[in-house]
Amino acid sequence: MAEIHFHPRGLAIEVRGLRVTLGDTAVLRGVDFHVPKGQIVALIGPNGSGKTTLLRCLLGLQRPDAGQVRLLGEEVGPAVLKRIGYVPQRLPFDRSFILSVREFLSLRLRETRGWFWQRHRNTDAHLRAALAEVGVDHLFDRPIAGLSGGQLQRVLIAFSLLGKPELLLLDEPTAGVDTPGEQDFYGLITEVHRRHKLTVVLVSHDLSMVYRHAARVYALNGIICCEGTPEEVMNADSLKQAYGIHVTPYHHEHGPGHHHVH
Amino acid sequence: MFTEAYMQRALLTALLLAPLCGLLGVFVTARRMAFFSDTISHAALAGIAVGFWLGFTDPTLPMIAVSLGVAMLMLWLREKTDLLNDTIMALLLSGSVAFGIVVLSLLKGYRGELHRYLFGDILSVGPQEVAIAVVVTAIVGTVVFARLNALALLTAHEDLAHVSGISVRGLNYAFVLVLTVVVALSIRLLGIILVTSLLVIPPATARNLASNLRQQLILAIIVGALGGVGGVALSFQFDLPCGPSIVLTCLALFLITLVGRALRKSRRRNLSPA
Ligand SMILES: Nc1ncnc2c1ncn2[C@@H]1O[C@H](COP(=O)(O)OP(=O)(O)O)[C@@H](O)[C@H]1O
Ligand SMILES: [Mg+2]
Repeated sequence: MAEIHFHPRGLAIEVRGLRVTLGDTAVLRGVDFHVPKGQIVALIGPNGSGKTTLLRCLLGLQRPDAGQVRLLGEEVGPAVLKRIGYVPQRLPFDRSFILSVREFLSLRLRETRGWFWQRHRNTDAHLRAALAEVGVDHLFDRPIAGLSGGQLQRVLIAFSLLGKPELLLLDEPTAGVDTPGEQDFYGLITEVHRRHKLTVVLVSHDLSMVYRHAARVYALNGIICCEGTPEEVMNADSLKQAYGIHVTPYHHEHGPGHHHVH
Repeated sequence: MFTEAYMQRALLTALLLAPLCGLLGVFVTARRMAFFSDTISHAALAGIAVGFWLGFTDPTLPMIAVSLGVAMLMLWLREKTDLLNDTIMALLLSGSVAFGIVVLSLLKGYRGELHRYLFGDILSVGPQEVAIAVVVTAIVGTVVFARLNALALLTAHEDLAHVSGISVRGLNYAFVLVLTVVVALSIRLLGIILVTSLLVIPPATARNLASNLRQQLILAIIVGALGGVGGVALSFQFDLPCGPSIVLTCLALFLITLVGRALRKSRRRNLSPA
């Protein structure tokens, strides 16, 4: 994919020298990560390479040992978090909590000062439209804990979009979704990106899927070890450099040109 | 039966605190904090012992103070140590009970008090308790309703709450503070051993009937009120300990709604074409 929307309009994400140690593991060892505004980019790396930890540092959920993080030109704090959408990897929605999708979405509406349980026709129409945009408006009155993985991802994206984010961070959004579902999902993300003109960071351990949808790819393994266009990063040499392990180009049913990181 | 002053006090207190417990209980159960609140209530025993030791005739304040101390200690240990949550709570619960019983045994003349604090007593609700219950219900009710959205999002997903601009740590501490005060006050009626059931059974009963959080919150408040008032009345009528009477009333409501839910489900299954 060509580098659409690439203008020097500043950086959506600016990370310098980020270090995080969890337990005895040096998870992030001096990460430099710069994401220009307006693109869909992918952050890839094998399981345990620190992708989730990096996102958590961006969001102020994890305090780094060293390094700086700036989002949309600001220090991380409540003010800038209002401009960010986050779809987390692990989804601990408890079955015993019977929050409905409508109730859940209304918790993100800052403009409604009232309690989430008050129903207003305008608010309901707004929430339904947000669900319809991600193709799941039939889930409006369902309990959030009873949704499938794919349905929940879409509801979470609708939740994020209600906050009118300028930057959307998606952590392994298609883990546990089948291949056709994955295609639909990336189609949806591309559409959302086009319509809302936001920066999207897709996190994945699977290079083959993000390849077609990302303008830039960043490979993480404790540090950002290579970055560039998907074609540049797909180059076996740079991937080998990226992971320090043997990488085989892997051909399967989506046809040639798809590579898995093992 | 409602003409006796102590009876009116007990009923009024139950009518205030039981619905409040039902409301808080929805979040306590969804956040899996039932054992946490059980630890808070058992810590009150240490508070009662300390209170009598220091010469308080009414140990309400030492009870709240010690329960709060233990609750904050639990949160602190959870953040600062590798100890498992259950381990921390079991240590503090057993420690508080053992300490409280030993001190009460050493103080002469307080053994009789033990029974009423363990199982609740309508006679022990004095004018001061009623006044405190009125004030606490007004404050806690206002605070909880004002922060209901934040509390619901915190319960759904802490990280999303943080990203939505909620101060997760502050709200967690505030919730524990509120919960501790309400639990400590409810001990007069429910007793240390059974007070957690008022946080668990009304929300579970409401869950049998509700299909969203709004309905569950409203029904938990109603079930709490019915169980509290019904239990106090039973306790008075048949001269039963107050806590067990309230719990049995709540349990009866739970069983009725459980059967109702099962019947509704099977009817729906029969109606739907095979
Ligand atoms: N709380 C923790 N304590 C110790 N190690 C942790 C903790 N959380 C994550 N880790 C370790 O940090 C590393 C990076 O984790 P993570 O950021 O989740 O990787 P990824 O998202 O790329 O799979 C893993 O090796 C994991 O085992
Ligand atoms: Mg991860």
